[in-house]
Amino acid sequence: MEIQEFIENFAAQFDDTDEALFTADTKFKELDEWSSLTALSIIAMVDDECDVIIKGNDILNSDTIQDLFNVVVKKQKK
Amino acid sequence: MSQLTINNVRIAGMSACVPATVEDNRTLPIYKDESEALKVIASTGIERHHKVDDGVTASDLSVKAVEGLLQQMGWEPQDVDCFAYVCTSRDYIAPQTACIMQDRLKLRSDCCVFDLPFGCSGWVYGMSIVASLMSHGTFKRAILVAAETNTRNRNPRDTAVRPLFGDAATATALELDPELARPMNFMYGVDGAGFDAVWAPYGGMRNPVTYESLEEKEVSPGSFRRGVDMIVNGMDVFGFAIKQPPRSIKELIATFNIDVETVDLLLLHQANKFIDEKIRKAIKIPAEKTPYCLEEYGNVTSASIPLTMVSRCREQLAGDMKHCIACGFGVGLAWASMEFYAGGVTIPEVITY
Repeated sequence: MEIQEFIENFAAQFDDTDEALFTADTKFKELDEWSSLTALSIIAMVDDECDVIIKGNDILNSDTIQDLFNVVVKKQKK
Repeated sequence: MSQLTINNVRIAGMSACVPATVEDNRTLPIYKDESEALKVIASTGIERHHKVDDGVTASDLSVKAVEGLLQQMGWEPQDVDCFAYVCTSRDYIAPQTACIMQDRLKLRSDCCVFDLPFGCSGWVYGMSIVASLMSHGTFKRAILVAAETNTRNRNPRDTAVRPLFGDAATATALELDPELARPMNFMYGVDGAGFDAVWAPYGGMRNPVTYESLEEKEVSPGSFRRGVDMIVNGMDVFGFAIKQPPRSIKELIATFNIDVETVDLLLLHQANKFIDEKIRKAIKIPAEKTPYCLEEYGNVTSASIPLTMVSRCREQLAGDMKHCIACGFGVGLAWASMEFYAGGVTIPEVITY
């Protein structure tokens, strides 16, 4: 998966946030709508779309969508 | 792969006891308003849970569940050859709670009793252990308790767990019956590297209780916990729960050549609706064959599969043989899946403590 598709899938987990706000550099935990429930949706999305299970720490240690994408790519290679 | 088949043992009866006090998630003081509460309810499916009053233990609920079951079945306490107590909310650090239960339930003094300190996988594990002992042929009747007081071992000010977990006790009566029994099949799984996804760090031998471990600390904004309280790392549990249970059930189906079309009931550990629906869809079992009781009782860990059977499948299980798949998964991390048949099961209505 390319970063652009990842960003689109990432944005789809949000209901009330403007899609234009999502870029590779978006600090997603600073978004108003971000919550622990969104985090679960992201984990499920990554499982469905990338066949990788990310951990809580992967999300905690990522600031931007690009950071998380890098983690996913790294896990896919394992 | 560790797999196990047990013959000649059937489920003869089941019961459940829940505390009378109900805590409604809509009105919990941990949310800023009702819309926040409704959001959590919408994604977890958990609307409320039952909660023990101060001083009531899992064993108190269990005594009521077992007594109600024995009475309905017409079994005397002295008929019971084996008694297993699946629970992590033990009465005392020592002795095993099952020993005290022998006296409280008036079981025979030569009854084989033991604790099994499992969490969410506990009913399936317990079934395999007790049924396996019975399959040797001399234990004719056994009782398996799966009980937990999750509201006691978790902090009520921990916003991540308060809306999810409840208290309940269940009892399952097993009978050696080569004529009626059909094989029970089991698969197991464990990932010890994930032990800190759900754990209580203080109070054991590794980290004994200290004054500091009894102090409440703010672990995230507005959420409090002590060192001796259970920690549930929601994100890691979620990642585990959407991966391993479907894989385990698929292994069970493949190993024992199960025709999924013939399955009448998929009995999942009631973690939350989001997780369980992902598992159900991965196994491709229709919604009407997958009963839930989490909306009413929350996640009651080891008691959740038998509580679902007692509260939602009472009439179904009293009738003809039903083909069932069950999967328990959680703390450990440990999981276990099981194929079995159940019919003509004596089930009293859910008992209130």
